[in-house]
Amino acid sequence: MSDSIFSEEELKIEIIRVMKTLYGRGLVSALGGNVSARIPGSDTIWITPSGIFKGDLKPDDLVKISLDGDVIEGFMRPSIEWPMHTVIYRVRPDVNAVIHAHNPITTGLALAGIELKPITVEAVVTLRSVPVIPFAYPGTDELAKLVAERVMGVRALILQNHGVVALGYNLVEAEAIVETLEEVATTQLVAMLASGGREPLMIPEKDRELISRLYLR
Amino acid sequence: MVELWGYTGRIARVNLSDGRAFIEEVKTEYIDLVLGGVGLASLMLFIEVDPRIDAFSPLNKLVFAVGPLTGTIVPGSSRAVVAARSPLTLGWGESHLGGFWGVELKKAGFDALLIEGKADTPTYIYIDDGEIEFRDASRLWGLKTSESEKTILSELEDPEVKVACIGPAGEKLVRYASIVSGERVAGRTGLGAVMGSKKLKAIAVRGRQQVRVRWFDKLRSMIARLYPSIMSFPTTQLLSSYGTNGEMDSFYQYGDVPIRNFTLGEWNGISKIEGQSMVRNYLKRHRACFGCPIGCWKEARINDPRYGLIEGRMPEYESAASLGSLLLNDDPASLIYMEKLCNDYGFDVISAGATIAWAIECFTKGLITIDDTKGLQLRWGDPDLIADLLEMIGERKGFGYMLGEGCRLASKIIGRGSERYAMHVKGLEMPMHDPRAFKGMGLQYATSNRGACHLQGLVMRVEQGERIPDLKIYRRFQRFEIEGKGWLVATMQDWHHVLESLGLCKFVQIPPGHVAGFYFLVAGVEKRLPELQRCGERISNIQRMFNIVAGVTSKDDILPDRFLSEPLGEGGAKGQVVELKPMIEEYYKVRGWDDRGIPTREKLKDLSILDIVESRLRSLGVDTWS
Repeated sequence: MSDSIFSEEELKIEIIRVMKTLYGRGLVSALGGNVSARIPGSDTIWITPSGIFKGDLKPDDLVKISLDGDVIEGFMRPSIEWPMHTVIYRVRPDVNAVIHAHNPITTGLALAGIELKPITVEAVVTLRSVPVIPFAYPGTDELAKLVAERVMGVRALILQNHGVVALGYNLVEAEAIVETLEEVATTQLVAMLASGGREPLMIPEKDRELISRLYLR
Repeated sequence: MVELWGYTGRIARVNLSDGRAFIEEVKTEYIDLVLGGVGLASLMLFIEVDPRIDAFSPLNKLVFAVGPLTGTIVPGSSRAVVAARSPLTLGWGESHLGGFWGVELKKAGFDALLIEGKADTPTYIYIDDGEIEFRDASRLWGLKTSESEKTILSELEDPEVKVACIGPAGEKLVRYASIVSGERVAGRTGLGAVMGSKKLKAIAVRGRQQVRVRWFDKLRSMIARLYPSIMSFPTTQLLSSYGTNGEMDSFYQYGDVPIRNFTLGEWNGISKIEGQSMVRNYLKRHRACFGCPIGCWKEARINDPRYGLIEGRMPEYESAASLGSLLLNDDPASLIYMEKLCNDYGFDVISAGATIAWAIECFTKGLITIDDTKGLQLRWGDPDLIADLLEMIGERKGFGYMLGEGCRLASKIIGRGSERYAMHVKGLEMPMHDPRAFKGMGLQYATSNRGACHLQGLVMRVEQGERIPDLKIYRRFQRFEIEGKGWLVATMQDWHHVLESLGLCKFVQIPPGHVAGFYFLVAGVEKRLPELQRCGERISNIQRMFNIVAGVTSKDDILPDRFLSEPLGEGGAKGQVVELKPMIEEYYKVRGWDDRGIPTREKLKDLSILDIVESRLRSLGVDTWS
């Protein structure tokens, strides 16, 4: 929304840093996951390329595209998820970074039909309510459309059978959301496994009243 | 001159009576005491304006000021303040402006613009990078704000110029006239009418200077890594997607949304006028003020047979409630039209809605007659009637003349017990948060220096469950309890004065500890958080002294009787009234004021402003403490 405080070259380096961090944490895999960042105030984004090994990306591998998907700079093919990224930038001008990651535990819990509970302060304050989007084939208009319908007012989405999408004003924020999702999901999984599947203890309603009234309707 | 960072160190003093302008240095001791923005404006007006004068007198002065963080890369640093003696409250008047105008003033090289005197003929001021020019505004006089802005931009042939102007309401001295810049509005306390009284139509500014930041690279790095936390405030994404009206449904659950002049707790029209549905149906585009990561500013587009094609600002929560639920109007398209009417004529939507609500309630009770309204049949829930009344206010025609006085003065003129239904504090009409739903808000309204103000403290956030450890707000304050609310309100009011003095928006919720860090990195001056809070406390006390001299005293630290004695029969605040007296007593005690609500000499001495205050009172011939 406002002009960027970083140059495009710095933005590209930051995308690579985020990708490597997430790869190191097992949240994106060799071929799964993609990251993009908008040049604030513009209609163009830098996005990771399709099909290339994600653990060792270089700034020169990134592709600059318009919100219509036209390649403006770069030599590689943009991520096939570009329609999902660009639809988010279109409807959420406050978002300048989108990460699609393959969080194994977050995705696994969703596949088991278990929603994330308000079990930690981060789950309440950082994640609030995370909608689950039904399966649609990756890279399709259908997926982009489903995402567009649910993306207002949220910081993250879970894509059933696919992974997660995290949003941020900048890359650091989106990265923090991806990591928080997996942290909360892991904590919840441990609690449920250790208790034989019981619902975990939650932060009392009185201490999460504002969030509940705003987001959990 | 001491080298300053963040601040420009310069004030433009403009006298409309003799057409002269001077550039002065900002006194660094002032900055040390009260920072910039509202702090600087408060101190300047306290020292220079006799608070007892007529607000429309040439002796009244109008200050526009920005803060040291305004125009920097700190998120939400767009804000400017306008202040003067208010024609509506007859005491301290201030209002705040987002958008881009304040940043331009800063880039033009000024921390403040002080306007004195009165022009003989309509005038506008053009500030171009430190050069100040008086220009003829005769052909602008009578134009609506959007037309005025367009005409000035075309005359100056520079699309980068930022214009703050008044509309017909300001010219005709509607007591709650606003100052408009683009679609951003300094709406409260009638400062547009002060501009009108000075025959000042607009201030156009163009600046090309960089704001000097002491430690830019460190600031940039800190901000980039703070976004996960800055954007984690609960309302942030809701504001981004839907604007402030995105919270209406949540407010309604608390019984907070005023309905039918604060007499009902439930109403089935909410779902039609709340922001999420309005954005889905009428959004043209999202917009953001300078440097804002949130962008709660929305633009609407409607094509309605009654109004034709209307493009303008999407109603914020305060507009949607004051022209909607308060008047039982559930027609969303009409709200977009009315928002445009208010901004084009240049008057405050909150005061307009509350004054119309007073009139309708009095009419239904037989206290206002058809003779008073000059033939108009007033009734609830009639968008055509409301739109007509708004036009009449803007033009000051017919019954609109009376409504343009604000509900306090209008009810005094009408009499017959109608005063009981005028919802205001110190003459400023109530904002759209029912204090029976959040009792701390009741105390905040009662004690805010500019009258019923929801923004100077936003205590309801804490009463909704926010904790702010940096300000020592550790525990959960329940909304219906009164224990500790005196301390809470004073703490939050002081903190909000700090934000207003630095030039920050309150909706970009930066943790206070980080704000102190930003101040250090921008201004190069180490002021830890408690020192900043002391600056805020000084500002509260200086404004309070201004009010006391103006005759606005503890007798005015009250709420309309409705909130003290009439519980709602339904909704989220059912059965509640505000127990104001004990909260006021605690508040005065916490503030170090005596039981008449007057700051004690000891308190002022402790705040290092006793000398300034005593010297000023002596020159005014006022002995406050005897």
